[in-house]
Amino acid sequence: MVAEAASIPAPVPAAPRVVSPWNPANAVTASRFLTLPLFYYAVAHGYHQWATFCMLACGLLDKLDGLVARIFNCKSAFGELFDAIADATCYGFGLIVVAAFGWAPVIPVVGVIALGAANTIMRGIYVKRAGRTTNYKSYAMERLVAYTGYLIGFATGQFEVTFFYWLFLPVMATILAYDTKRMLIDPIPEAG
Amino acid sequence: MNGPLSYTAFYAFMTILTGGVSAVWFAFDLRNLLVTRKLDRANPVVRDRKFGYSIGLVIATIGMLGSTIFWL
Repeated sequence: MVAEAASIPAPVPAAPRVVSPWNPANAVTASRFLTLPLFYYAVAHGYHQWATFCMLACGLLDKLDGLVARIFNCKSAFGELFDAIADATCYGFGLIVVAAFGWAPVIPVVGVIALGAANTIMRGIYVKRAGRTTNYKSYAMERLVAYTGYLIGFATGQFEVTFFYWLFLPVMATILAYDTKRMLIDPIPEAG
Repeated sequence: MNGPLSYTAFYAFMTILTGGVSAVWFAFDLRNLLVTRKLDRANPVVRDRKFGYSIGLVIATIGMLGSTIFWL
């Protein structure tokens, strides 16, 4: 009986599912970059409405990649990071362009970009602290990213630009103060 | 303003896209906040969620206010 029990192999824990970075969700994320040249062209030639629609397409693709990841079951830590990088690139580019062409006030744009850069650096430190590819999930920052997309649309559509841009800064500073504590000071949760 | 829509249609579109979405967002995050009220505040993830939903309410309010101010 004892010998029989000893011969039964111990259950092997299932290996974590490996998702290729070349998957449909990341393709949708990457396709967001295609809206940027069109956006620039529209702003440079004074096409306010077309520039707004380009940024709208970029925002919709941002929503679509999460849906595609769920449908094709290809969610990954790399995908989340790539999504965050795409957000920073697209919205950073959009903000710089509208400010450069005088469609948005420069001071709030510089503030937003500086705070965004600080957030990116802290996320890098968080990854180093965790010792693995991970993305700190900030419910507040997710909402602010949507607001950032809107900010560019407000500038291209000339829709209450001053009001929306100046109110954005204190909201972003509050979120960053909270997330700084979570990313740099609080303990990091175990990988799940 | 050159584009496919008239001035009025474009700003009606902008208002719906901003004010309408903000109103839905406000209701959604208010519901989320009420649901998380019953959860344990000692859990950091619960605190993150509560903070996130509260910020969502603030942003949605800004969106609704801005859309209203435009037409005043």
